[in-house]
Amino acid sequence: MSKVWKHRPPAAFRLDHGRVIVGKTRKTSPSSDHPVQPTQDAEFEALAITIDDSARSSRRGLSWGVLFWLALGGLLLLAMGFAITGLITGLFARNQELGWIGLALAILAALSLVVIGVRETIGLMRLATVENLRERAAETILGNDRVEARALVRELLHLTRRMPRLARARATLEGHLAEIIDGGDMVRLAERELMTPLDQQARKLISAAAMRVSVVTALSPRAVVDLLFVFGTALSLVRRLGFLYGVRPGTLSLARLIRHVVMHLAMTGGLATSDSLIQQMLGHGVVAKLSARLGEGVLNGLLTARFGLAAIDIIRPLPFAALPRPTLGDLMSEVLGSFGGGEERRAPPESNLAAADVQLCGLKSLADSKSVKFTS
Amino acid sequence: MPDLIEQIRLATQALAEFGVHLFNPTIRLGVTGLSRAGKTVFITALVHGLVRGGRFPVFEALATGRIARAYLAPQPDDAVSRFDYESHINALVDKRSWPTSTRQISELRVVIDYQSLSEYQRTLTLDIVDYPGEWLLDLPLLTKSYEKWASESLRLSRQRQRADFAKDWHSYLSTLNPEGMEDEQQALTATRLFTEYLRACRDNNYAISLLPPGRFLMPGDLANTPALTFAPLELSGEGPPPAGSLWAMMRRRYESYKSVVVRPFFRDHFVRLDRQIVLVDALAAINAGPEALLDLEQALGQVLDCFQTGRKTILSALLRPRIDRLLLAAAKADQLHHTSHDRLETILKRVTEHAMARAEVAGAQVDVVALAAIRATREATVRRGRQELPCVLGVPIAGETMAGEIFDGETEVAIFPGDLPNDPDDLLRPKNRSRGSISSPQSPDFRFLRVRPPLLEFTEKGGPALPHIRLDRALQFLIGDRLV
Repeated sequence: MSKVWKHRPPAAFRLDHGRVIVGKTRKTSPSSDHPVQPTQDAEFEALAITIDDSARSSRRGLSWGVLFWLALGGLLLLAMGFAITGLITGLFARNQELGWIGLALAILAALSLVVIGVRETIGLMRLATVENLRERAAETILGNDRVEARALVRELLHLTRRMPRLARARATLEGHLAEIIDGGDMVRLAERELMTPLDQQARKLISAAAMRVSVVTALSPRAVVDLLFVFGTALSLVRRLGFLYGVRPGTLSLARLIRHVVMHLAMTGGLATSDSLIQQMLGHGVVAKLSARLGEGVLNGLLTARFGLAAIDIIRPLPFAALPRPTLGDLMSEVLGSFGGGEERRAPPESNLAAADVQLCGLKSLADSKSVKFTS
Repeated sequence: MPDLIEQIRLATQALAEFGVHLFNPTIRLGVTGLSRAGKTVFITALVHGLVRGGRFPVFEALATGRIARAYLAPQPDDAVSRFDYESHINALVDKRSWPTSTRQISELRVVIDYQSLSEYQRTLTLDIVDYPGEWLLDLPLLTKSYEKWASESLRLSRQRQRADFAKDWHSYLSTLNPEGMEDEQQALTATRLFTEYLRACRDNNYAISLLPPGRFLMPGDLANTPALTFAPLELSGEGPPPAGSLWAMMRRRYESYKSVVVRPFFRDHFVRLDRQIVLVDALAAINAGPEALLDLEQALGQVLDCFQTGRKTILSALLRPRIDRLLLAAAKADQLHHTSHDRLETILKRVTEHAMARAEVAGAQVDVVALAAIRATREATVRRGRQELPCVLGVPIAGETMAGEIFDGETEVAIFPGDLPNDPDDLLRPKNRSRGSISSPQSPDFRFLRVRPPLLEFTEKGGPALPHIRLDRALQFLIGDRLV
């Protein structure tokens, strides 16, 4: 539609021009009598960034289930309040001092409950923020929106402000904010700067957890023990990953996080089958021939690693765009490489075949050491 | 038949190069663009950034520190002059003046030592080829006969703005009889007048782009040879010219121009490129009005048609090298506030849409970017009345004018160049608009001022880092994939 576009005639202003009023009286600037002001540090897009809560919970309506739990919760709360009030009045009736102590304890409990509640809520919100960030980042990369990318990076900087190891990266990134960089490039840049050290650490965490699970399963005397151990390791793994990427989950948000991870695993499980599950099963089969326990250990380790990778997908505030997504083969070659001595560790991560070879090598040497141990 | 021989020759050349590149990975990066598009500045800034380590956050290999070092090396082609990087950078940094326009083809080799993502030490050789933009306009002549070229040139010269410049030549042309006896003096005079017309077109404020043959304006060492002494004639009919006539002489010389000038250029330089960046000074054309923009569109269309674009396959690498990445860059984006860059890119996309579509169908990757190889301005906001104008701050080159004011090349001013339209067709077809001519001298809609190179900041290394806009993105697109 070739309508007349909104246009203003060109002009040039001398910097000491009198008629022009100061641009952008945003803050009380020292040179506010100066007619023209250079824009500093991309102030032009200093948007008030608020977290959009509407995107978080798309379905708002009360379902019967929710109503039931709410009602039940209310009832329980009433019962508890009633019981506690009864208890305190009872205490007062018996002894004045005892009553005061009871009251103080009750108040203390209520206070800490409130604090815990607030923290949990904040934790949940933080988790939602991270998920929201990731979605927006993916959209920004597609849409190449400059303003949105800048807002996003500011939020990321805020999210990561408590991570001392990112101080330098944050400073670099803040410097880049003032430059003219397109939206998609900006997000990728942020990912490269901020996520590289975190990804490395996350990889280490996962492979350590996987290794522990493998060893414990292979050595544990009872199935119950390793079941508990696997569960505990997975829990602590997700928690530590959460702290690593800035989610800092509390109890509730950890529960929610784990639910999301499990859902994510269920959804992407099919996808992952094609690339590495066959290879895993093959490896497992071979090892199981050597020793049933050992095979179980390896399988549990693999599952833990897979769980950790799924958790990264959920916890990481940016999607994998500029950096490669860590793969299972990648991690396992690290784990098993450390089992079988250092030399295989340098295998190029992208070649799945090589990783599989390493895996088998590592397993073999593991098997050797095991058999020695068992025979002795 | 000559075509077949030519093809075989090209294939042999490609085969030989393929063998060399197998052991020594090399990218030939063509930097082209019509004259004054900023090719020399682009190469200077690029080489400076690579060798001295510039601020290139988006260029992944350099930003993450995988490039151990980059250095200049002797170039491969002994017959081509060296790109005078040192004196260009000196002119930019010390004298704060832009380099003079390119007069001949030149070449520079940069060797990049880097560590690949799979942790191997590797070396990539980057050959950068710079040549005058005018020469590009000759490439379409390869497929044109003299008669076709003559009639097209004449038609162009009778268009509104050009007719004024061509007056002398036209009046002389009417005295010539193409079928008369050949006469060296007539040919000389006609050529002189024709060249003057071309030069007038180039030097005026209207920024006319389509001016073949390019070598007339930049003759180099071929000045005054018969191959450069011909001009279009007013021809009545097609068909073979009478022997010994002026027409026949012009036609013969036109053909030898093609074989002496155009074809070697095409064969030795143009066809061997792997990556291509086309710099376009869209702002100058917008400055000059819709006719210049249409002219630019035509010129770019013809130039881009000459590129051999397409996906790189083993067969193509063996027989016929192709350009597998093509970057169209709207240069001098620093004359605009960054909020207008998207519109500038849209305009460039619109101007080059046919060529882009063709390259994409062939499988090449095409991207459009608004860049400034060296950023000479800062950004500012000026309040005028109730409006807030996004401006750029810079020192206009001495002699630039705006609204009657002539700048002295020393004072810094805030420039508001005017709002670009959202729809590029508003620029190309001004008739749709309710207002009059788009860029009448009295009330122009745009005025982009050329500004002097910036005063340079110093990095901790000591050398000045050249500021830029999206040069790193251009680099990432052009060579980033070969550095993984």
